[in-house]
Amino acid sequence: MGQDIATIRVTRYRPEKDSKPYFQEYKVPYRQDMVILDALNYIKAEIDGSLTYRWSCRMGVCGSCGANIDGEPKLTCASFLHDFKGRTITVEPMTNFPVIKDLVVDMEDFMEKLVKIKPWIIREKETPPEQGEYKQSAQELERYSQFSSCINCMLCYAACPIYGLNEKFLGPAATALAYRYIEDSRDQGKDVRFPIVHEMEGVWECTLVGECSVVCPKGVDPMLAIQKAKILGATNALKSLLMPRGGR
Amino acid sequence: MKVETHKIARLHAILWGIFSLGGMIAAFLLPVLIYLTAIAYPFSLWPFNGTKDPSFLITGHRLGALFIFVTIAGSLYHGIFRFQSVLTEVGLLKYRRALEAIGYFIIFVGIIVLAYYLATWYLNGTIS
Amino acid sequence: MGDSNRYPELRRRISPGWWRANRHYAMYMVREWTSLFVALYSLVFIYGVSLWAMGSRASFLNFLRNPAIVGFSIVALVFTMYHAVTWFYLLGAISPIKIGRSKTRPWQALVLNLILLVIVSYLAIWLLVLR
Repeated sequence: MGQDIATIRVTRYRPEKDSKPYFQEYKVPYRQDMVILDALNYIKAEIDGSLTYRWSCRMGVCGSCGANIDGEPKLTCASFLHDFKGRTITVEPMTNFPVIKDLVVDMEDFMEKLVKIKPWIIREKETPPEQGEYKQSAQELERYSQFSSCINCMLCYAACPIYGLNEKFLGPAATALAYRYIEDSRDQGKDVRFPIVHEMEGVWECTLVGECSVVCPKGVDPMLAIQKAKILGATNALKSLLMPRGGR
Repeated sequence: MKVETHKIARLHAILWGIFSLGGMIAAFLLPVLIYLTAIAYPFSLWPFNGTKDPSFLITGHRLGALFIFVTIAGSLYHGIFRFQSVLTEVGLLKYRRALEAIGYFIIFVGIIVLAYYLATWYLNGTIS
Repeated sequence: MGDSNRYPELRRRISPGWWRANRHYAMYMVREWTSLFVALYSLVFIYGVSLWAMGSRASFLNFLRNPAIVGFSIVALVFTMYHAVTWFYLLGAISPIKIGRSKTRPWQALVLNLILLVIVSYLAIWLLVLR
Protein backbone atom coordinates (compact mmCIF):
# COMPACT_ATOMS: atom_id res chain seq x y z
CA MET A 1 0.00 0.00 0.00
CA GLY A 2 1.68 3.19 -1.14
CA GLN A 3 1.87 5.46 1.82
CA ASP A 4 3.23 8.97 1.74
CA ILE A 5 6.55 9.42 3.43
CA ALA A 6 7.34 12.54 5.41
CA THR A 7 10.89 13.58 6.15
CA ILE A 8 11.18 15.03 9.63
CA ARG A 9 14.31 16.88 10.65
CA VAL A 10 14.52 17.11 14.44
CA THR A 11 16.93 18.95 16.70
CA ARG A 12 18.87 16.57 18.90
CA TYR A 13 20.69 17.75 21.98
CA ARG A 14 21.95 15.31 24.54
CA PRO A 15 23.90 17.32 27.09
CA GLU A 16 25.61 14.28 28.54
CA LYS A 17 27.04 13.42 25.13
CA ASP A 18 27.00 16.52 22.90
CA SER A 19 28.23 20.01 23.51
CA LYS A 20 26.27 21.28 20.51
CA PRO A 21 22.87 20.48 19.04
CA TYR A 22 22.54 18.81 15.66
CA PHE A 23 19.77 17.77 13.29
CA GLN A 24 18.68 14.20 12.68
CA GLU A 25 16.42 13.18 9.80
CA TYR A 26 13.80 10.49 9.96
CA LYS A 27 11.48 9.13 7.30
CA VAL A 28 7.94 8.63 8.59
CA PRO A 29 5.10 6.98 6.67
CA TYR A 30 1.91 8.93 7.23
CA ARG A 31 -1.81 9.05 6.54
CA GLN A 32 -3.89 12.08 5.66
CA ASP A 33 -4.96 12.86 9.23
CA MET A 34 -1.63 12.53 11.01
CA VAL A 35 -0.02 15.39 12.88
CA ILE A 36 3.62 16.11 13.72
CA LEU A 37 3.10 14.64 17.18
CA ASP A 38 2.04 11.34 15.58
CA ALA A 39 5.25 11.43 13.55
CA LEU A 40 7.34 12.04 16.68
CA ASN A 41 5.56 9.19 18.45
CA TYR A 42 6.20 6.93 15.46
CA ILE A 43 9.90 7.87 15.49
CA LYS A 44 10.16 7.18 19.20
CA ALA A 45 8.30 3.88 18.96
CA GLU A 46 9.77 2.47 15.75
CA ILE A 47 13.02 4.20 14.86
CA ASP A 48 14.77 5.99 17.71
CA GLY A 49 13.59 5.56 21.28
CA SER A 50 15.93 8.24 22.58
CA LEU A 51 14.02 11.12 20.95
CA THR A 52 12.67 13.25 23.81
CA TYR A 53 9.72 15.66 23.70
CA ARG A 54 6.71 16.73 25.75
CA TRP A 55 3.11 15.89 24.93
CA SER A 56 -0.06 14.89 26.71
CA CYS A 57 -3.62 15.41 25.51
CA ARG A 58 -2.80 15.36 21.76
CA MET A 59 -5.82 17.56 21.14
CA GLY A 60 -4.66 21.12 21.75
CA VAL A 61 -5.89 21.74 25.30
CA CYS A 62 -3.00 20.88 27.60
CA GLY A 63 -0.32 23.14 26.14
CA SER A 64 2.51 20.62 26.50
CA CYS A 65 3.65 20.02 22.93
CA GLY A 66 4.90 23.41 21.75
CA ALA A 67 7.76 23.40 19.24
CA ASN A 68 9.19 25.47 16.38
CA ILE A 69 7.92 23.84 13.20
CA ASP A 70 9.69 25.24 10.12
CA GLY A 71 10.56 28.24 12.24
CA GLU A 72 7.04 28.89 13.52
CA PRO A 73 5.98 28.21 17.12
CA LYS A 74 3.17 25.67 16.89
CA LEU A 75 1.63 22.81 18.81
CA THR A 76 2.91 19.54 17.35
CA CYS A 77 -0.51 18.00 17.93
CA ALA A 78 -2.15 20.71 15.85
CA SER A 79 0.17 20.69 12.83
CA PHE A 80 -0.88 18.34 10.05
CA LEU A 81 1.79 16.53 8.06
CA HIS A 82 -0.09 16.97 4.79
CA ASP A 83 0.31 20.75 5.10
CA PHE A 84 4.04 20.17 4.55
CA LYS A 85 3.64 17.67 1.71
CA GLY A 86 6.76 17.32 -0.39
CA ARG A 87 8.90 19.33 1.98
CA THR A 88 11.21 18.34 4.78
CA ILE A 89 9.70 19.46 8.06
CA THR A 90 12.10 20.93 10.58
CA VAL A 91 11.11 20.53 14.22
CA GLU A 92 13.12 22.50 16.77
CA PRO A 93 12.62 23.32 20.42
CA MET A 94 10.65 26.53 21.07
CA THR A 95 12.74 29.68 20.56
CA ASN A 96 13.84 31.85 23.47
CA PHE A 97 13.91 29.02 26.00
CA PRO A 98 16.97 27.12 27.25
CA VAL A 99 16.96 23.53 26.04
CA ILE A 100 17.21 20.66 28.51
CA LYS A 101 17.27 17.88 25.94
CA ASP A 102 16.15 17.45 22.30
CA LEU A 103 12.82 19.30 22.10
CA VAL A 104 12.32 19.74 25.85
CA VAL A 105 12.75 23.33 27.06
CA ASP A 106 13.25 24.76 30.52
CA MET A 107 9.95 26.28 31.66
CA GLU A 108 11.12 27.62 35.02
CA ASP A 109 11.12 31.30 34.03
CA PHE A 110 7.59 31.03 32.68
CA MET A 111 6.39 29.18 35.76
CA GLU A 112 7.81 31.87 38.01
CA LYS A 113 6.05 34.57 36.02
CA LEU A 114 2.72 32.76 36.20
CA VAL A 115 2.94 32.59 39.97
CA LYS A 116 4.27 36.14 40.26
CA ILE A 117 1.09 37.71 38.92
CA LYS A 118 -1.00 35.86 41.50
CA PRO A 119 -3.47 34.06 39.23
CA TRP A 120 -6.33 33.77 41.72
CA ILE A 121 -9.20 35.96 42.89
CA ILE A 122 -7.97 38.40 45.52
CA ARG A 123 -10.61 39.85 47.81
CA GLU A 124 -10.20 42.62 50.35
CA LYS A 125 -12.58 40.67 52.50
CA GLU A 126 -13.72 37.15 51.78
CA THR A 127 -17.43 36.64 52.27
CA PRO A 128 -18.22 33.30 53.91
CA PRO A 129 -19.78 30.61 51.67
CA GLU A 130 -23.06 30.82 53.57
CA GLN A 131 -23.63 34.27 52.09
CA GLY A 132 -23.74 32.77 48.64
CA GLU A 133 -21.62 33.02 45.51
CA TYR A 134 -20.09 36.19 44.01
CA LYS A 135 -22.51 37.13 41.27
CA GLN A 136 -21.32 38.18 37.83
CA SER A 137 -23.32 39.27 34.80
CA ALA A 138 -22.74 38.04 31.25
CA GLN A 139 -21.32 41.47 30.33
CA GLU A 140 -18.87 41.32 33.21
CA LEU A 141 -17.80 37.86 32.08
CA GLU A 142 -17.30 39.17 28.50
CA ARG A 143 -14.67 41.60 29.71
CA TYR A 144 -12.17 38.90 30.59
CA SER A 145 -13.35 35.54 29.28
CA GLN A 146 -11.16 35.59 26.16
CA PHE A 147 -8.05 36.04 28.31
CA SER A 148 -8.96 33.06 30.47
CA SER A 149 -8.61 30.67 27.53
CA CYS A 150 -4.82 30.44 27.88
CA ILE A 151 -3.46 26.87 27.97
CA ASN A 152 0.04 27.96 29.04
CA CYS A 153 1.62 26.49 25.92
CA MET A 154 4.30 29.25 25.82
CA LEU A 155 4.11 29.61 22.03
CA CYS A 156 3.65 33.35 22.58
CA TYR A 157 6.97 33.55 24.42
CA ALA A 158 8.65 31.64 21.62
CA ALA A 159 7.21 34.13 19.15
CA CYS A 160 8.09 37.27 21.11
CA PRO A 161 11.45 38.79 20.09
CA ILE A 162 11.32 41.17 23.05
CA TYR A 163 11.32 38.20 25.41
CA GLY A 164 14.18 36.77 23.39
CA LEU A 165 16.15 39.98 23.88
CA ASN A 166 15.25 40.46 27.54
CA GLU A 167 14.36 37.49 29.73
CA LYS A 168 13.06 39.79 32.46
CA PHE A 169 10.12 40.89 30.26
CA LEU A 170 6.89 39.70 31.88
CA GLY A 171 5.68 38.51 28.52
CA PRO A 172 2.39 37.85 26.73
CA ALA A 173 0.78 34.95 28.61
CA ALA A 174 1.58 36.22 32.11
CA THR A 175 0.33 39.72 31.30
CA ALA A 176 -2.83 38.37 29.66
CA LEU A 177 -3.49 36.26 32.74
CA ALA A 178 -2.87 39.23 35.06
CA TYR A 179 -5.22 41.31 32.92
CA ARG A 180 -7.80 38.51 33.11
CA TYR A 181 -7.89 38.99 36.87
CA ILE A 182 -7.72 42.78 36.72
CA GLU A 183 -10.83 42.76 34.53
CA ASP A 184 -12.65 40.16 36.60
CA SER A 185 -15.37 41.98 38.55
CA ARG A 186 -14.95 39.59 41.45
CA ASP A 187 -11.29 40.47 41.84
CA GLN A 188 -10.15 43.25 44.17
CA GLY A 189 -6.43 42.76 43.77
CA LYS A 190 -5.52 45.72 41.54
CA ASP A 191 -3.15 47.13 44.17
CA VAL A 192 -1.23 43.87 44.14
CA ARG A 193 -1.21 43.27 40.40
CA PHE A 194 -0.61 46.75 39.02
CA PRO A 195 2.94 47.09 40.38
CA ILE A 196 3.86 43.81 38.70
CA VAL A 197 2.21 44.63 35.40
CA HIS A 198 3.24 48.28 35.30
CA GLU A 199 6.85 48.05 36.35
CA MET A 200 9.46 48.59 33.65
CA GLU A 201 9.78 44.90 32.79
CA GLY A 202 6.01 44.56 32.74
CA VAL A 203 4.06 45.91 29.80
CA TRP A 204 6.41 48.77 28.92
CA GLU A 205 8.94 46.59 27.15
CA CYS A 206 6.33 45.53 24.60
CA THR A 207 6.61 47.24 21.21
CA LEU A 208 3.55 45.69 19.56
CA VAL A 209 5.30 43.13 17.39
CA GLY A 210 2.01 41.26 17.68
CA GLU A 211 3.39 37.83 16.85
CA CYS A 212 2.17 36.48 20.18
CA SER A 213 -1.45 36.86 19.13
CA VAL A 214 -0.69 35.41 15.69
CA VAL A 215 0.67 32.13 17.10
CA CYS A 216 -1.76 31.71 19.99
CA PRO A 217 -3.71 28.49 19.37
CA LYS A 218 -6.61 29.58 21.59
CA GLY A 219 -7.33 33.13 20.37
CA VAL A 220 -6.36 34.71 23.68
CA ASP A 221 -4.88 37.76 21.91
CA PRO A 222 -2.27 38.61 24.57
CA MET A 223 -1.21 41.63 22.50
CA LEU A 224 -4.62 43.14 23.17
CA ALA A 225 -4.29 42.48 26.91
CA ILE A 226 -0.87 44.14 27.01
CA GLN A 227 -2.08 47.22 25.13
CA LYS A 228 -5.13 47.58 27.35
CA ALA A 229 -2.86 47.23 30.39
CA LYS A 230 -0.59 49.96 28.97
CA ILE A 231 -3.56 52.28 28.57
CA LEU A 232 -4.63 51.50 32.14
CA GLY A 233 -1.11 52.24 33.33
CA ALA A 234 -0.87 55.53 31.48
CA THR A 235 -4.27 56.74 32.69
CA ASN A 236 -3.49 55.71 36.26
CA ALA A 237 -0.16 57.54 36.16
CA LEU A 238 -1.85 60.63 34.78
CA LYS A 239 -4.51 60.45 37.47
CA SER A 240 -1.92 60.14 40.21
CA LEU A 241 -0.10 63.12 38.74
CA LEU A 242 -3.18 65.32 38.56
CA MET A 243 -4.78 64.17 41.76
CA PRO A 244 -1.96 63.12 44.10
CA ARG A 245 -4.22 62.63 47.04
CA GLY A 246 -7.26 62.04 44.93
CA GLY A 247 -9.66 59.21 44.68
CA ARG A 248 -9.40 56.00 42.80
CA MET B 1 10.81 32.60 49.93
CA LYS B 2 12.21 35.32 47.73
CA VAL B 3 10.43 38.62 48.38
CA GLU B 4 10.25 40.74 45.26
CA THR B 5 9.55 44.42 45.19
CA HIS B 6 7.74 45.86 42.23
CA LYS B 7 7.61 49.54 41.48
CA ILE B 8 5.13 51.02 39.05
CA ALA B 9 7.05 52.88 36.37
CA ARG B 10 4.85 55.98 36.58
CA LEU B 11 7.20 58.26 34.69
CA HIS B 12 7.57 55.79 31.87
CA ALA B 13 3.81 55.33 31.75
CA ILE B 14 3.37 59.04 31.15
CA LEU B 15 6.21 59.15 28.63
CA TRP B 16 4.50 56.31 26.79
CA GLY B 17 1.20 58.19 26.87
CA ILE B 18 2.86 61.20 25.25
CA PHE B 19 4.43 58.87 22.69
CA SER B 20 0.95 57.57 21.82
CA LEU B 21 -0.34 61.10 21.45
CA GLY B 22 2.64 61.84 19.23
CA GLY B 23 1.73 58.84 17.13
CA MET B 24 -1.76 60.26 16.56
CA ILE B 25 -0.23 63.60 15.63
CA ALA B 26 2.27 62.03 13.25
CA ALA B 27 -0.53 60.04 11.63
CA PHE B 28 -3.16 62.77 11.32
CA LEU B 29 -1.24 66.04 11.06
CA LEU B 30 2.22 65.32 9.67
CA PRO B 31 1.11 64.13 6.20
CA VAL B 32 -0.66 67.38 5.37
CA LEU B 33 2.26 69.49 6.66
CA ILE B 34 4.72 67.60 4.45
CA TYR B 35 2.34 67.79 1.51
CA LEU B 36 1.94 71.56 1.86
CA THR B 37 5.62 72.36 2.32
CA ALA B 38 7.31 69.78 0.10
CA ILE B 39 4.83 69.10 -2.69
CA ALA B 40 2.16 71.79 -2.97
CA TYR B 41 4.48 74.76 -2.52
CA PRO B 42 7.58 73.68 -4.52
CA PHE B 43 5.46 72.33 -7.41
CA SER B 44 2.76 75.04 -7.26
CA LEU B 45 -0.02 72.52 -6.69
CA TRP B 46 -3.30 73.11 -4.88
CA PRO B 47 -3.71 75.04 -2.60
CA PHE B 48 -0.58 76.95 -3.73
CA ASN B 49 -1.44 76.92 -7.42
CA GLY B 50 -2.34 80.55 -7.54
CA THR B 51 -0.72 83.52 -5.92
CA LYS B 52 -0.68 82.13 -2.38
CA ASP B 53 2.47 80.88 -0.68
CA PRO B 54 2.90 79.11 2.67
CA SER B 55 1.41 82.16 4.30
CA PHE B 56 0.45 80.19 7.34
CA LEU B 57 4.12 80.29 8.24
CA ILE B 58 4.17 84.05 8.37
CA THR B 59 4.64 85.44 11.81
CA GLY B 60 1.53 86.46 13.57
CA HIS B 61 -0.51 83.64 12.08
CA ARG B 62 -1.21 82.09 15.46
CA LEU B 63 -3.01 79.06 14.14
CA GLY B 64 -0.17 78.32 11.73
CA ALA B 65 2.46 78.57 14.42
CA LEU B 66 0.40 76.36 16.71
CA PHE B 67 -0.13 73.83 13.94
CA ILE B 68 3.60 73.68 13.20
CA PHE B 69 4.51 73.41 16.86
CA VAL B 70 2.05 70.64 17.70
CA THR B 71 2.80 68.66 14.55
CA ILE B 72 6.58 68.90 14.68
CA ALA B 73 6.94 68.56 18.46
CA GLY B 74 4.60 65.58 18.54
CA SER B 75 6.25 63.90 15.57
CA LEU B 76 9.75 64.50 16.90
CA TYR B 77 8.87 63.01 20.27
CA HIS B 78 7.14 60.00 18.76
CA GLY B 79 9.90 59.35 16.22
CA ILE B 80 12.78 59.56 18.66
CA PHE B 81 10.98 57.51 21.36
CA ARG B 82 10.21 54.73 18.91
CA PHE B 83 13.59 54.82 17.20
CA GLN B 84 15.31 54.35 20.55
CA SER B 85 13.49 51.08 21.04
CA VAL B 86 14.18 50.03 17.44
CA LEU B 87 17.89 50.44 18.07
CA THR B 88 17.69 48.28 21.18
CA GLU B 89 16.05 45.57 19.09
CA VAL B 90 18.76 45.41 16.44
CA GLY B 91 21.65 44.73 18.74
CA LEU B 92 22.18 47.91 20.75
CA LEU B 93 20.28 46.78 23.85
CA LYS B 94 23.31 47.22 26.08
CA TYR B 95 23.54 50.90 25.15
CA ARG B 96 19.96 51.49 26.16
CA ARG B 97 20.66 54.07 28.87
CA ALA B 98 22.91 56.10 26.60
CA LEU B 99 20.41 55.94 23.75
CA GLU B 100 17.63 57.14 26.02
CA ALA B 101 19.73 60.02 27.32
CA ILE B 102 20.69 61.13 23.81
CA GLY B 103 17.14 60.71 22.57
CA TYR B 104 15.48 62.73 25.29
CA PHE B 105 18.17 65.38 24.96
CA ILE B 106 17.43 65.77 21.24
CA ILE B 107 13.69 65.92 21.94
CA PHE B 108 14.17 68.50 24.66
CA VAL B 109 16.46 70.75 22.64
CA GLY B 110 14.40 70.38 19.48
CA ILE B 111 11.14 71.34 21.15
CA ILE B 112 12.66 74.25 23.07
CA VAL B 113 14.32 75.62 19.91
CA LEU B 114 11.11 75.30 17.91
CA ALA B 115 9.01 76.93 20.61
CA TYR B 116 11.55 79.72 20.93
CA TYR B 117 11.53 80.56 17.23
CA LEU B 118 7.77 80.40 16.90
CA ALA B 119 7.23 82.48 20.03
CA THR B 120 9.78 85.09 18.94
CA TRP B 121 8.03 85.56 15.63
CA TYR B 122 4.68 85.86 17.27
CA LEU B 123 5.93 88.52 19.67
CA ASN B 124 7.92 90.42 17.02
CA GLY B 125 5.19 90.50 14.41
CA THR B 126 5.91 89.95 10.75
CA ILE B 127 9.54 89.47 9.72
CA SER B 128 10.39 90.24 6.08
CA MET C 1 15.00 16.85 37.70
CA GLY C 2 18.47 15.81 38.85
CA ASP C 3 19.99 15.56 35.38
CA SER C 4 19.13 19.11 34.39
CA ASN C 5 21.27 20.32 37.26
CA ARG C 6 24.24 18.17 36.30
CA TYR C 7 24.25 18.81 32.59
CA PRO C 8 24.40 22.23 30.95
CA GLU C 9 21.28 23.58 29.30
CA LEU C 10 21.59 24.84 25.77
CA ARG C 11 21.20 28.58 25.79
CA ARG C 12 20.54 30.13 22.42
CA ARG C 13 21.22 33.83 21.95
CA ILE C 14 18.86 35.82 19.76
CA SER C 15 20.78 37.40 16.89
CA PRO C 16 20.44 41.05 15.80
CA GLY C 17 19.05 39.70 12.52
CA TRP C 18 16.17 37.94 14.27
CA TRP C 19 13.66 39.97 12.30
CA ARG C 20 14.66 38.32 9.02
CA ALA C 21 13.24 34.98 10.17
CA ASN C 22 9.75 35.59 8.81
CA ARG C 23 7.63 38.10 6.94
CA HIS C 24 5.70 39.32 9.99
CA TYR C 25 8.91 40.28 11.77
CA ALA C 26 10.31 41.97 8.66
CA MET C 27 7.14 44.02 8.18
CA TYR C 28 7.28 44.94 11.87
CA MET C 29 10.83 46.27 11.39
CA VAL C 30 9.78 48.34 8.36
CA ARG C 31 6.92 49.75 10.40
CA GLU C 32 9.21 50.69 13.27
CA TRP C 33 11.85 52.25 11.02
CA THR C 34 9.27 54.76 9.79
CA SER C 35 10.01 56.45 13.13
CA LEU C 36 13.49 57.38 11.87
CA PHE C 37 12.01 59.35 8.98
CA VAL C 38 9.39 61.00 11.17
CA ALA C 39 12.12 62.09 13.61
CA LEU C 40 14.54 63.16 10.86
CA TYR C 41 11.91 65.17 9.01
CA SER C 42 11.03 66.97 12.23
CA LEU C 43 14.68 67.85 12.85
CA VAL C 44 15.15 68.99 9.24
CA PHE C 45 12.02 71.14 9.53
CA ILE C 46 13.27 72.72 12.75
CA TYR C 47 16.54 73.47 10.96
CA GLY C 48 14.55 75.11 8.16
CA VAL C 49 12.62 77.17 10.65
CA SER C 50 15.92 78.31 12.18
CA LEU C 51 16.96 79.63 8.76
CA TRP C 52 14.04 82.02 8.86
CA ALA C 53 14.77 83.07 12.40
CA MET C 54 18.46 83.68 11.63
CA GLY C 55 18.01 85.03 8.14
CA SER C 56 14.85 85.91 6.34
CA ARG C 57 11.56 84.42 5.24
CA ALA C 58 13.02 84.11 1.75
CA SER C 59 15.80 81.84 2.98
CA PHE C 60 13.21 79.54 4.55
CA LEU C 61 11.13 79.45 1.37
CA ASN C 62 14.28 78.73 -0.65
CA PHE C 63 15.07 75.93 1.77
CA LEU C 64 11.62 74.44 1.12
CA ARG C 65 12.26 74.57 -2.64
CA ASN C 66 15.72 72.98 -2.43
CA PRO C 67 15.58 69.76 -4.51
CA ALA C 68 17.41 67.72 -1.86
CA ILE C 69 14.91 68.84 0.77
CA VAL C 70 11.98 68.16 -1.53
CA GLY C 71 13.34 64.70 -2.33
CA PHE C 72 13.95 63.83 1.30
CA SER C 73 10.53 65.18 2.30
CA ILE C 74 8.74 63.08 -0.28
CA VAL C 75 10.54 59.97 0.99
CA ALA C 76 9.60 61.03 4.53
CA LEU C 77 5.99 61.43 3.40
CA VAL C 78 5.90 57.89 2.05
CA PHE C 79 7.19 56.56 5.37
CA THR C 80 4.84 58.84 7.31
CA MET C 81 1.88 57.48 5.35
CA TYR C 82 3.05 53.95 6.08
CA HIS C 83 3.21 54.89 9.76
CA ALA C 84 -0.31 56.32 9.54
CA VAL C 85 -1.73 53.26 7.83
CA THR C 86 -0.13 50.80 10.29
CA TRP C 87 -1.08 53.04 13.22
CA PHE C 88 -4.73 53.06 12.15
CA TYR C 89 -4.68 49.29 11.78
CA LEU C 90 -3.23 48.94 15.28
CA LEU C 91 -5.90 51.26 16.67
CA GLY C 92 -8.44 48.89 15.20
CA ALA C 93 -6.67 45.86 16.65
CA ILE C 94 -6.61 47.25 20.19
CA SER C 95 -10.09 48.74 20.30
CA PRO C 96 -12.53 46.28 18.80
CA ILE C 97 -16.07 47.63 19.15
CA LYS C 98 -18.86 45.22 19.78
CA ILE C 99 -21.78 45.61 17.41
CA GLY C 100 -24.47 43.15 18.32
CA ARG C 101 -22.76 39.79 18.47
CA SER C 102 -19.79 40.56 16.26
CA LYS C 103 -16.70 42.72 16.74
CA THR C 104 -15.23 45.32 14.42
CA ARG C 105 -12.15 44.22 12.52
CA PRO C 106 -8.88 46.19 12.26
CA TRP C 107 -9.18 46.90 8.54
CA GLN C 108 -12.48 48.66 9.21
CA ALA C 109 -10.72 51.00 11.64
CA LEU C 110 -8.07 51.52 8.98
CA VAL C 111 -10.61 52.66 6.38
CA LEU C 112 -12.46 54.84 8.89
CA ASN C 113 -9.31 56.58 10.07
CA LEU C 114 -8.05 57.10 6.52
CA ILE C 115 -11.29 58.93 5.77
CA LEU C 116 -10.77 60.91 8.97
CA LEU C 117 -7.23 61.74 7.83
CA VAL C 118 -8.55 63.17 4.57
CA ILE C 119 -11.12 65.25 6.47
CA VAL C 120 -8.57 66.54 8.99
CA SER C 121 -6.09 67.37 6.21
CA TYR C 122 -8.69 69.29 4.27
CA LEU C 123 -9.71 71.12 7.44
CA ALA C 124 -6.09 72.06 8.09
CA ILE C 125 -5.66 73.38 4.57
CA TRP C 126 -8.90 75.33 4.80
CA LEU C 127 -8.05 76.85 8.19
CA LEU C 128 -4.46 77.70 7.34
CA VAL C 129 -4.34 78.52 3.64
CA LEU C 130 -7.73 79.01 2.07
CA ARG C 131 -9.31 81.24 4.68
